Amino acid sequence: MPSPDKDDAITRGQISPQDRAELRGRTDELDRRLQQARGEDHTTPETGRQEPKATQTTNKGLGGSLRSSTEMIAGVLVGSGIGWAIDKVFGTWPAFFIVFFLLGSAAGMLNVVREGLKMKTGPSDPKKGPSVPDDEDDN
Amino acid sequence: MASGGGHSPIEQFVIKEYVPLEAFGFNASFTNSSLYMVIAVSLITGFLILSTKGRALVPTRMQSISEIFYEFVASTVKDNVGPQGMQFFPLVFTLFIFVFVLNLLGMIPIPGITFTVTSHIAVTAALALLVIGIVIFYGLYKHGLGFFKIFVPSDVPPWLLPLLVPIEIISFISRPISLSVRLFANMLAGHIALKIFAGFIGVLLGAGAWAILAPLPLALTVALTALEVLVAVLQAYVFAVLTCIYLNDAVHGAH
Repeated sequence: MPSPDKDDAITRGQISPQDRAELRGRTDELDRRLQQARGEDHTTPETGRQEPKATQTTNKGLGGSLRSSTEMIAGVLVGSGIGWAIDKVFGTWPAFFIVFFLLGSAAGMLNVVREGLKMKTGPSDPKKGPSVPDDEDDN
Repeated sequence: MASGGGHSPIEQFVIKEYVPLEAFGFNASFTNSSLYMVIAVSLITGFLILSTKGRALVPTRMQSISEIFYEFVASTVKDNVGPQGMQFFPLVFTLFIFVFVLNLLGMIPIPGITFTVTSHIAVTAALALLVIGIVIFYGLYKHGLGFFKIFVPSDVPPWLLPLLVPIEIISFISRPISLSVRLFANMLAGHIALKIFAGFIGVLLGAGAWAILAPLPLALTVALTALEVLVAVLQAYVFAVLTCIYLNDAVHGAH
C-alpha cells in the first residue's frame, strides 16, 4: 500500500534526497513491523487479508463445488464434440465419437482434479509457482 | 405465466432494443444489456476516480474501499500467477470488477428494467474468449512454439503420451467453455429460481385458503436473495481466479 504513494512522490520530484532516504527507511521499518505483526496473529503474510480462516475456507469450498461440475461437463462436451465432428467428416460414426467421449471424460476429470489441487495448494504455499526459476527455453 | 403478475420467469432475460442500430449488416442496437454495461462502467470508473482523487496516505473510507479491491485482486494475481503476473493486473482487475458490478446490478430490482448482463452466454463467452485468446497469444509470444509443451505432461512414460496429449488438448479447449458456462449458468439459474419462488407468493395468495402458506415462499425468497448476492460475488471472484490460473500457464509455460 505505501509503495505507490512513495514511488509517485519520488518520480514527481517533490521530495529532497535526504527526505527520500528517510522516507524509505521509515517505510522499510513499517514493512518489517507489519511482517512481524502478521507473523504473530497467524494471518497469512502473503495474502495479508484479515478475514477469519473459517469463512475463507467455506467460501473456497463452495466456489470449488460450483466449479467442478461445469469443469466435468465442459470436458465431456468438448471431447464428444470433437469426436462427433471427426465422424461427420470421415463418415466413421460412431468410432471417433466413442473414443473422444472417453478422452473428454478423462479431460473433465483432469480439469476437476487439477483446478481442485490448484485452489487448495495455491494460496497456502504461494512460493510454489513463483519460486520456480522462469526458464524460458525458447527453442 | 404462473406468477402473480402474469410474467414468465424468463421474461427478465429478454433483450430490449432501446436504440436500433445496424453496423456492417450486424444488429448493433443499443439494448438494455448495453445500458447496464454503460451504467456499470460509469459506476466503476466514477467510483475509482473519485475515491482515489485524494491520494491520502491515511485513506478515507471511499479510498479504503478502492484499496480493498486493489489488494484483493492483487493478492489473487500474486498467489496464482506470481509476481510476474502483475503485468496482467489491469486485465484481471477489469474483468473482476466488471463482472462483480454487473452481477450485483442485476440484483437490484427495478420493474421492467432490471437486467443481468452476465446471465447471457454471449457476454460471458466473449469475456472467456478474451482471456483464452490472451493466454494463447502471450504464451506463443513469450515461449514461442515451446508454449505447446503445456500439452505434454512431464514425468510421464513416452508410450502414454498419445493418450495424454489429446486429453490435455481437450482439457485446454474446455476451459473457455467452462469459464463462460459457469458464470452464465449460475446467474441464469439463480435469477430464475428467485423469480419462480417469488411467483409462488402471488399464486398462493390468490388461491383462497392456501394463502396461509404464502409466507413460506416469501421467506425462501428472502433467503434466496441473500444466496444470490453471495453467488454474484463468488462468481466474479471465481472468474478472476480462473483467469489467473490460465494466465499462469501462459507466463510460466509447461507445468
